Amino acid sequence: MTMFAAFGNGFRRVLRAPAIVAGVWVLTVLVSLPLAIGLRAAIAGHLGDSVAADTAASGVNYDWWQEFSDQATGTATTFKPTIIGFAAVLDNLSAFVDNERRPIAIVGAASAYVLLWLFLAGGIIDRYARDRATRAHGFFAACGVFIFRFLRLGIVMAIVYGFLFRYMHPWLFERLYPRMVHDVTVERTAFFARVVLYVVFGVVLAGCNLVFDYAKVRAVVEDRRSMLGALLAAVRFVRRNYAAAVALYVADFALFLVVVAAYGLVAPGAGPAGLATWIGFAVGQSYVLARLIVKLIFWASETALFQGRLAHAGYVAAPARTWPDSPAAEAIAR
Amino acid sequence: MTERQEVRMRPVALAVLIACAVRPASIAAQPGGGPTGAIAPPLSPRNANYSIDARLDPGSRTITGSEAITWRNITSRPTSELRFHLYWNAWRNARSTWLREAQLGAARPRPQPREADWARMDVTSIMLLGTGDGAPVDLTASKRFIAPDDGNPDDETVLEVPLAQAVAPGGSATISIRWTAHVPRTFARTGAIGNFFFIAQWFPKLGVLEETGWNCHQFHAGTEFFSDYGVYDVSMTVPRGWVVGATGVERQTRDNPDGTTTHRFYQEDVHDFAWTTSPDFLVRTARFEAQGLPPVEMRLLLQPEHASQAERHFDATRTTLKHYGQWYGPYPYGHITIVDPAYQSGSGGMEYPTLFTAGTRWLVLPSVTTPEGVTVHEAGHQFWYGIVGNNEFEDAWMDEGFNTFSTARAIAQDYDPNYLAVRYFGGFIPWRLTDVVIRRETDGNRLDGYRRAAKSDAESTPSYQYFPGTGGAITYNKTALWLNTMERWLGWPTLQKIMATHFVRWRFRHPRPQDFFDVASEVSGRDLGPFFDQVYRSSNTFDYGVQELTSTPLGGEFRTNVVVRRYGEAIFPVDVAVTFRNGERIVEHWRGRSRWKLYTYDRAAQALEAEVDPNRVLLLDVNYTNNSRTLAPKGPQAATKWAAKWMVWLEDALLSYGFFV
Repeated sequence: MTMFAAFGNGFRRVLRAPAIVAGVWVLTVLVSLPLAIGLRAAIAGHLGDSVAADTAASGVNYDWWQEFSDQATGTATTFKPTIIGFAAVLDNLSAFVDNERRPIAIVGAASAYVLLWLFLAGGIIDRYARDRATRAHGFFAACGVFIFRFLRLGIVMAIVYGFLFRYMHPWLFERLYPRMVHDVTVERTAFFARVVLYVVFGVVLAGCNLVFDYAKVRAVVEDRRSMLGALLAAVRFVRRNYAAAVALYVADFALFLVVVAAYGLVAPGAGPAGLATWIGFAVGQSYVLARLIVKLIFWASETALFQGRLAHAGYVAAPARTWPDSPAAEAIAR
Repeated sequence: MTERQEVRMRPVALAVLIACAVRPASIAAQPGGGPTGAIAPPLSPRNANYSIDARLDPGSRTITGSEAITWRNITSRPTSELRFHLYWNAWRNARSTWLREAQLGAARPRPQPREADWARMDVTSIMLLGTGDGAPVDLTASKRFIAPDDGNPDDETVLEVPLAQAVAPGGSATISIRWTAHVPRTFARTGAIGNFFFIAQWFPKLGVLEETGWNCHQFHAGTEFFSDYGVYDVSMTVPRGWVVGATGVERQTRDNPDGTTTHRFYQEDVHDFAWTTSPDFLVRTARFEAQGLPPVEMRLLLQPEHASQAERHFDATRTTLKHYGQWYGPYPYGHITIVDPAYQSGSGGMEYPTLFTAGTRWLVLPSVTTPEGVTVHEAGHQFWYGIVGNNEFEDAWMDEGFNTFSTARAIAQDYDPNYLAVRYFGGFIPWRLTDVVIRRETDGNRLDGYRRAAKSDAESTPSYQYFPGTGGAITYNKTALWLNTMERWLGWPTLQKIMATHFVRWRFRHPRPQDFFDVASEVSGRDLGPFFDQVYRSSNTFDYGVQELTSTPLGGEFRTNVVVRRYGEAIFPVDVAVTFRNGERIVEHWRGRSRWKLYTYDRAAQALEAEVDPNRVLLLDVNYTNNSRTLAPKGPQAATKWAAKWMVWLEDALLSYGFFV
């Protein structure tokens, strides 16, 4: 299977399983909503019955915003003008590549979100590997089968990503970069130096991510129990199919960039309260949905590539799970 | 000129220095009729005149200099000593007062400079050439460092030289000094990086003799400078081909056999001299012309990567020269040099007489005031600092605050809209938030920064004694806010007249705070003392608010009760406005002295909202959200809207973390 075929195949597999898309969107909303409700209460409390709310509702009241920020704690400290429109995306992307710290409440929510994804990963990849409906019980059964394996894998991932962000990133950007640009007098040169380091870090990060993705895919498709074995198998697969695996990852990443750029064109500004808020919210959720689809396409296309290159086409090594009937059903059958 | 040559040529150099010291102040205009640096008749007392020869060796980052200072005692008291600032010794080691203070309130420890990045200024010779007559006297052996502010024995930023014979009132002295200095990697906007040199506060410089004695403070991390006006005739020798920008007008260039070029700059009626040199500068020129104001030749030394931003620098400078000129008084020098410093030079955003450093970035956006914000501000210092020469050690607010206020006003005149911008990806990539418009009154005057440090120091505290981490909020922000408050309270014509009167009365002199307060009361025709007591002599904060608004039916009408409150300690008269549902609006005037006040109304219509200071006259109010209450609050709608927007941001953040699965 070519990279292009895998990409298209993965795309189709995601579209043929809309429940998964809907499910992960609901998951994203459910993790976000409590914090958003908390922030809403904080904003409403600070505005109180003030007339300042009028301009905050109809547009941006930057004066009030700064007053609010000065007394904000926890998640409310992230409520800055950079949440408006496309700046929100840039803010997060920039924070990601610059390894900026977020408030503990945000990190906590993100940790829960990651764990939930880890739980769902088995079911999602299983569904894409089978490329047919597995129903809820089949989906969650796969989730249950793989959660502990993926938690073990997650420990390895946490160690690797932890090393990258805790040691490699600071070394690159807080030690090497300042040395590289210490005597640079042209900002453009410094920027290009930084871009080079972004690329270096990004390649290493993407390489690790690629291996972890195929480890998950091989764990599910081949019903592997050893996660170290799955990792080694993933490394072998990537090494033997280097061009296709990397090209597919790049294609998936390009799709991510397309989604981000598209949102850049339509991202709603502050706007007034009321209907405009909800239209803006809907546009935002469409973007979130698209981002989720891209994430799922990563997995689905990688699954397709793996199946096309190594496993039998459309074949999942693990037998389809069938659950025994209850004793009562057996009795009735007799 | 090398050290060896200097020693060999000493008698000759001495004669030259003496000749320089007695050179007449007014020199003929250059061919072509452009500015010459000469101003006749003199605008200032010209009691501290410097003739300097300096040679820069870029390889060793060394300056070898000699100067002749002709100083006249314009006080009514004699002095038997001289005091000099040796500013660069503040970065000689980590024990100086400047570096100790710089650590206070710093977010993180200052990185230890490399050995070559420290500075030093070593005076090798001090000669008294004469106090009118008599033979030269070598004072070198009697020089000593003093620390008048904090007694720090390791601080070497103030040099005292006793005189055998006192300089009487009206008398003068000519002093010849030789020194060598090592150019640091930039501290306090002075230093070098690569081939870019910005050389300021770089020569032994006399303090100011006042009636109470020498005003010659140590160099402090949070404050700047103070010196007398005079004539500067400065020759700088740099590698041939390097561009030089400096205070004043270039009068002469001379190529030397050793591959260097000597540039001679001259300026009268200034109180400092700074210069810059680099082989990389692009040189652009333009002219400022505005009706009723003298023309000004503008010279821009630009980094090549900012070549496309030349007009933005010129336009911002024009904005300053025009508005400040019209509001306060004309810029008298006829020329100005704008220096666009090299990236990471750390020398951006600083003012010197007839020269200033701007500050821009490689990537800039339209309708965002980079580079205009810094350019207007630093050009504005030509008026508040350059022309009106207050003591920046003690009353920094008199130039920084006045100028912050004026900058915000000028920007608002010419740069509309002005959007908030943020920078991403290591600070390189700018993004404009077109939903967030920068407002002069709050953002331009930096209310947000003031709010966080409002109680940190009373403004009347000598500036060098402000806590370094928060001093800026008092010096810049608070002053700009109370000046803008005065504008909204007294009206711009009155405030403009106050500031113009102060400007004209104190140009080329050294005003003190009371001088401004006196002018303000005199021009406005009212006693503004109580206002200055609040904003200048106290660190109290202003915070008025509506504590309660009720409007309930009572006998066929609505009884409306409004309780307004003074939450802060500071006092200012404010209006209280109550609006009813039928559109009726009542405005009361509250002197604001008591802690609270009740207003009661019986009206046919129910009240809608009540506001304290509805026109936001009092810009120093640290909590404006509590200034109003409405019976039809939109807080819930606003909160829903912003929470929904934030939720999209949060989901996007979660998706970033989702990468790790």
